[in-house]
Amino acid sequence: MSALNNKSPYVIDDQKISFTFDGKKYFGFKGDTIASALLRNNIRLIGRSFKYHRPRGIYTCGIEEPNALVQIPSEYNDPNIRATVKQIYEGMVVESQNRWPSLKNDIGSINNLFSPLFSAGFYYKTFMGPKGFWKKVYEPLIRKTAGLGKPPKKFKSKSIHFYHNVDIVIVGAGLSGLLAAKKLVDTEHDVLLIEQDNFLGGILKNTKKIKTINGQKVNEWLKKTETLIKNSKNINVLKNTTVTTYNFSNHLVALEDKSVGNLQEKNKPELVLHKIRTKHAILANGHIERFISFRNNDLPGVMLAASFEKYIHRYGVIPDNSPVIFTNNSSTFSLVKSLIDLGCKPQAYVDAREKKQIEKKTLDLLDTHNIPAYIKSEIEGCDGKNKVEEVSVRAKKNNITKIKTSMLCVSGGLNPDIHLFTQSRGLIKWDSTQLVFKPNSSFQNTITLGSVSGNFSYKKTSEEVNKKLNFLEETKNLEVKLDINDFEKFNIKELWETKHAKKSLWSKSFADLQNDVTTRDLKQAVLEGFDRIEHLKRFTTNSMGTDQGKISSVNSLGIVSKILKKNISEVGTTIYRPPYTPVSFSAIAGRSTYKFYDPERKTPIHPWHVNNNAVFEDVGQWKRPWYFKKHDGETMYEAVQRESKQVRRTAGILDGTTLGKIEIKGKDALTFMNLVYTNDFSKTKPMSGKYALMLGEDGMVKDDGIVCKINDQHFIATTTTGGAMNVLSHMEEYAQTEWPNLNVYMNSVTEQFATFNISGPKSRIILSRVFSDIDFSNEKFPFMTFNKFNYLETEIRILRASFTGEIGYEVYVPPKYALALWEKIFYYSKDFDLVPYGTETMHLLRAEKGYIIVGQDTDGTVTPIDLNLNWMIGKNKKDFIGKRSLIRSDIVKENRKQLVGILPLNKSENIEEGQHIIESETLSTPIRKPVKMLGHITSSYYSPTLDHCVAMALIKEGRKLIGGKAFVSTPNLKTIPVQIVKPAFVDPKNEKLLS
Amino acid sequence: MLLINCPYCGERDQSEFSNGGEAHVARPKNPELVSDREWSEYVFIRANPKGIFYERWVHTHGCKKWFNAVRNTSTDEILKIYKLGEEPPTLKDFKNTPKTPSGEPKVGSGNFAVKKL
Ligand SMILES: [Zn+2]
Repeated sequence: MSALNNKSPYVIDDQKISFTFDGKKYFGFKGDTIASALLRNNIRLIGRSFKYHRPRGIYTCGIEEPNALVQIPSEYNDPNIRATVKQIYEGMVVESQNRWPSLKNDIGSINNLFSPLFSAGFYYKTFMGPKGFWKKVYEPLIRKTAGLGKPPKKFKSKSIHFYHNVDIVIVGAGLSGLLAAKKLVDTEHDVLLIEQDNFLGGILKNTKKIKTINGQKVNEWLKKTETLIKNSKNINVLKNTTVTTYNFSNHLVALEDKSVGNLQEKNKPELVLHKIRTKHAILANGHIERFISFRNNDLPGVMLAASFEKYIHRYGVIPDNSPVIFTNNSSTFSLVKSLIDLGCKPQAYVDAREKKQIEKKTLDLLDTHNIPAYIKSEIEGCDGKNKVEEVSVRAKKNNITKIKTSMLCVSGGLNPDIHLFTQSRGLIKWDSTQLVFKPNSSFQNTITLGSVSGNFSYKKTSEEVNKKLNFLEETKNLEVKLDINDFEKFNIKELWETKHAKKSLWSKSFADLQNDVTTRDLKQAVLEGFDRIEHLKRFTTNSMGTDQGKISSVNSLGIVSKILKKNISEVGTTIYRPPYTPVSFSAIAGRSTYKFYDPERKTPIHPWHVNNNAVFEDVGQWKRPWYFKKHDGETMYEAVQRESKQVRRTAGILDGTTLGKIEIKGKDALTFMNLVYTNDFSKTKPMSGKYALMLGEDGMVKDDGIVCKINDQHFIATTTTGGAMNVLSHMEEYAQTEWPNLNVYMNSVTEQFATFNISGPKSRIILSRVFSDIDFSNEKFPFMTFNKFNYLETEIRILRASFTGEIGYEVYVPPKYALALWEKIFYYSKDFDLVPYGTETMHLLRAEKGYIIVGQDTDGTVTPIDLNLNWMIGKNKKDFIGKRSLIRSDIVKENRKQLVGILPLNKSENIEEGQHIIESETLSTPIRKPVKMLGHITSSYYSPTLDHCVAMALIKEGRKLIGGKAFVSTPNLKTIPVQIVKPAFVDPKNEKLLS
Repeated sequence: MLLINCPYCGERDQSEFSNGGEAHVARPKNPELVSDREWSEYVFIRANPKGIFYERWVHTHGCKKWFNAVRNTSTDEILKIYKLGEEPPTLKDFKNTPKTPSGEPKVGSGNFAVKKL
């Protein structure tokens, strides 16, 4: 059967390699793929299919493989590895997929008998009801029985990204790709030659179709050409690299696997994702053979004819000594010839063409060697248990001859591999003589050469290369003489599927092997109205597998065109989308994983926070203390209650470094600030601050912060931590695009200052001790003023402001001095129990005071009027961003949602953030009809100072409802009676704040 | 990924830029004087044509400068890039760009790969 000792120059057969497949040990040679090694060992059954769990074998010999997908537990356990691509190495562990308990006895194959359930659109139809069945019954069932491999449990990045800027990329190093490269040797063009295999030559090595080139043996010519290219000053070669994507602007993405033939090393970047910009792309990526659909065309033992030939010449494996060959075109001549040259004899030759269509060369060969030839015949189907045992040949109408065989080689024609060409948005057209889609016109600087352009005759290759590349500077005409041992002119008869002679539940003819789409599914889909090819594809999932229907999609178009009685060019084709072959997420991720995924920003006080048991919260890229654990057993709730209480009792300190800080300067800075903020800064005294609001042009609150005016030409604005970048971009945009006449410049100074917010009744005394030469009295340092002070050999700025409602100060200090100053503040406040607090306590304290947080109490649909912040709008200003929107009819209407305070009537009850505010006390369980909703809770905290819950809410016509009652829902559909109040719970008259 | 020629920095990958939507939408000089309708058209309504489109870009991860571009939205070709304040090219300047890549219908997905005969 298999020829273990057939000599092949490409497999190193003195290097035996052992590996296991489903726990059993096998031997192969260095250079073998999993598929060629298994064929060597006579293994035909490789996996189970996606839906029906039918037995499947090796169908092809390359990237187009739909069936032979395996998992490799000895590596990262990536699923759906193509056995026809992945090379073996010593100790490799290979497992089959989608079978349970074992490959030979698979329980899921019972699906095959329930197949009417899994017909086209089955997901959409079958699993519609009854209610609750999806979650409990259907989904677990589908997850267990459908699908391919299992996702890996652990993720490890093993890839890097590599960028290229070149003049010319050549995709594919077969005959035409090599000729193109040869033409460009030692020119001024910067060239990248990309080959998906681990050798140059493609078809020259995979077949014996070309005997000599310019009188030299193919291998000699290849060796010389490779040396020539390697020694050239301008051509770089990437092997084991597949171009997966052809984007706009001649941008190509290619994936290189450096581990081919070896175990993927865990610590080395074995995958390289190449991102390439080029001026010209030369696609010489060849063609892919297609199949023909017939009854049970998926049985292990059915293989594409050219793939069979490739196993012989490339791997030295003859998958079967006497296969039956089934064809409708000239390309199988070389397979017959190869088998005979090896002393093997095909069991039978079945050709769908008329005798006069078949080349004399082929007929003579069959005749001389007494090979039974069935002309103008077709394969009706094949039968066998887990493998091909018998094929049925139909000569005339239902005149069926049965032939015993274990292998059937099929060729349904050749498809130019136009995947990349159409990705580049080039247009293709249908060639009704060769029955192929081939490139028609390029959209970018794309040139196709060889069989991808529909040129199946090697004789014309050099002529084509010269014709299409002579426009490139410095290129000379190539003289190439080939001695060819192949068909003269490609010839084919249209045949997409053959009709079933017998009907049985088990018998199926497949249009897409990987997704288990049958030809019947296609017919049914058309009957149900999915006659547009893009719809049909999605409804049937045809060609939507990891192989993207490389050997089958054109067949499906053929079948559909027959049903619709249309020409294939009218039916069209679905769009080919990247990637050409599967790209693992780890290749895309590159180095951007874990810590490198997004930078972490830390304040200068970070080490202190860590030492003091801070629990951190991510705010954008910043690490901010969320709360500080006093002891290991302290919960977050306890910590926040303790911190909040302490701030109001003595004092607390918050690391506010992360707040955005933007410096605005220029002759027209005042005018500009008056335009981007709602407030009027004209009369603001120098060296004082203002709580300021920024709106979008739609009138909605965008950001808030304190704007400090140094003078009319110089401002510093603070922003929310998360909004810093957006606010700066927003200012830049208006400065550049709307008011370029204003002399104003802005820059982020967030990192230039560390900021501490110290607040609480004792904050004044503490700071007076730290900075003994500064007068912090209310008269000398009133609320919302700031000043610069000399500190050591630097300068600091202190602003009197507060986000807690207590008297408070913000200290701005260069980062270098920050940690020492922070510790100094603690040193001087030992007797006051100065408490460090985090963002959660900050939120609680501001909520007690009724201060909003943009993004929590607002959501992009809230205006300053809705927030009762009318006082912040500079009424006398002629214009500012968003002003005109504030008088739009929708904004001024009465029944908008407005911000109010909410207090539970029963002080022991807790309100949850996000809950609804409703009018009625009771809710039906379960809820049967919509409940009228007045609004929702935006903030809610348990106030340790007041000893009850305080909340804020956005309620329809909220201001009118103040003083009234309402109900807040709870997760268990109970309600809490609440009172609607003004949103200010602690110190509503600002007595403490201004003291 | 597009290659965009920043008028200040030169050709860079699209990932360095942000798109700013339709260009030449002037902010009303006197917002108070325009009607609700005119104002809402300025704030909310933007053209989204298939074909030649005047749009704004900003070199976010670069010089942070805004500039204008003319792009054929159906082919993604950038036909012209010009600085703010420069005279925009007229439609007549773009005779050589296909209206759509394949002569496909004026409306619809544009997902045609096969040359219409
Ligand atoms: Zn730039």
